[in-house]
Amino acid sequence: MAVSLLCRRTGSFSIRLYSRKPALPPSPHCGFLLQTACYNPKPLKLNIRDPYIPDKDSERTPEWQKTAKYDRKLYGRYGSASGIDPASLWPSHEELDKIIAEEKEWQPSLEVMLKNIEARENEEAEKRREKEKIIAANMAKMPQMVADWRREKREAKQKLKEEKARREKLLAEARERFGSSVDPRSPKFLEMVAELEKEEKKKKKLLKRRLREEQAAGAGPTPAASS
Amino acid sequence: MSFPKKPGGKGLDVLQTLPRISLENLRPEPGARHRERRRGRGQHGGNRSGRGHKGERQRGTRPRLGFEGGQTPFYLAIPKYGFNEGHSRRPQYKPLSLKRLQYLIDLGRVDPTQPIDLTQLVNARGVTIQPLKRDYGVQLVDEGADIFAAKINIEVQRASEGAIAAVERNGGVITTSFYDPISLDILIKPVPFFMRGQPIPKRMLPGEDMVPYYTSAENRGYLADPAKIQEARLALAQKYGYVLPDISVDELYRMLATRKDVRQIFFGLSPGWVVNVTERKILKPTDEKLLKYYNS
Repeated sequence: MAVSLLCRRTGSFSIRLYSRKPALPPSPHCGFLLQTACYNPKPLKLNIRDPYIPDKDSERTPEWQKTAKYDRKLYGRYGSASGIDPASLWPSHEELDKIIAEEKEWQPSLEVMLKNIEARENEEAEKRREKEKIIAANMAKMPQMVADWRREKREAKQKLKEEKARREKLLAEARERFGSSVDPRSPKFLEMVAELEKEEKKKKKLLKRRLREEQAAGAGPTPAASS
Repeated sequence: MSFPKKPGGKGLDVLQTLPRISLENLRPEPGARHRERRRGRGQHGGNRSGRGHKGERQRGTRPRLGFEGGQTPFYLAIPKYGFNEGHSRRPQYKPLSLKRLQYLIDLGRVDPTQPIDLTQLVNARGVTIQPLKRDYGVQLVDEGADIFAAKINIEVQRASEGAIAAVERNGGVITTSFYDPISLDILIKPVPFFMRGQPIPKRMLPGEDMVPYYTSAENRGYLADPAKIQEARLALAQKYGYVLPDISVDELYRMLATRKDVRQIFFGLSPGWVVNVTERKILKPTDEKLLKYYNS
């Protein structure tokens, strides 16, 4: 198609027409009789009869008309009539080296790219697996943690209840002793509390002594009975 | 006894007796021409001329769009989020529906007996590609997949699964390939490129983010393994429920099997060649270094 387009645009001096088959109703089955339309493109004004080729030696020609880029465009327009050596259209050895170096740096080959992609995917998969492991381990611990927390809450509640009960008892004691409700912060109350604590300690000590005596008494007669 | 009916009948009589068509006899279809609305003229167009009664409406001093009387407007109250961040750097693909492709083939603008390329589509004025607007090519969309009935060898840049299925169901071949912006510019406008006198450049490989797309067989990528592509064709036929036609026994098998090389931009033209339009000549380099570079 590109070639037919070319021939059409340079239609001014070439009359090489491709034979277009007669206008038959196009059907998808008889493909080789299909007539294809060609848009009439704009005429390509190549200006071959009177070309402008700038004089490289004179000073009056602007600088940009002496560059390699302009030479290439001249060749593209006029062909060999422009008088430009076609070998200059390709990059020279130095330019080619530069191009190859640039390509090596900025355009990695397909294998390198595939390796990079694989490495990145592996890394991501690794990270995900690590995370999932941690999550699984923590989830396994969950029932234990839940039970612990519940136990702690229960204990705290119980302690609070006990504290409250104790305070109520002390208040009741104080009221009994002094006859009217006393502020728990007053020194009388504190003295009473201290007295009660002393009495409790004494009781405990007596209990301990008794227990020890009983144990000693129990231990004494049994070795005597066994021996 | 029945009189034989004249062919044409009353219609022909009427036609023969009516006068010839001239400007006096013609009138547009009712509803084809709508009268223009002229403001400030007559009972209905005049008086306030459709501007309403007093206020900013009539006096034309309404505030800007989005203003909400001083309250923080909606478009400022909502916080920003990066939905459109980098939108101007995202590759875009012009959609080509199967309906339009069928239309082009039916009208003869696109030749189904030759491999269909982006150049063919642009020559047929089927799509308009703007490489400078971050267009990276054309994408095949599956609108019109039910009416598509053409056996083609088409090469696009992206294709939806339904479109691939529709093309292969009719015995065609579809390939997705990548063109970097310079190659794309050359592909859509070959003649201005040849006038520049430059050698045809190599097509560059896609970037790392696009390599998975073009190496996967499901997308019929041009870098994918041909064996895997065959498997994918069978799998797709099973998924969409059609029998995959065997293209190796087709008469157009050679045409359907033509595919471009990874570094090639045009069919039949290699990178490194200089095409001269004026003299109908192709110049090929002979230097080994150049050949090695262009063939790598």
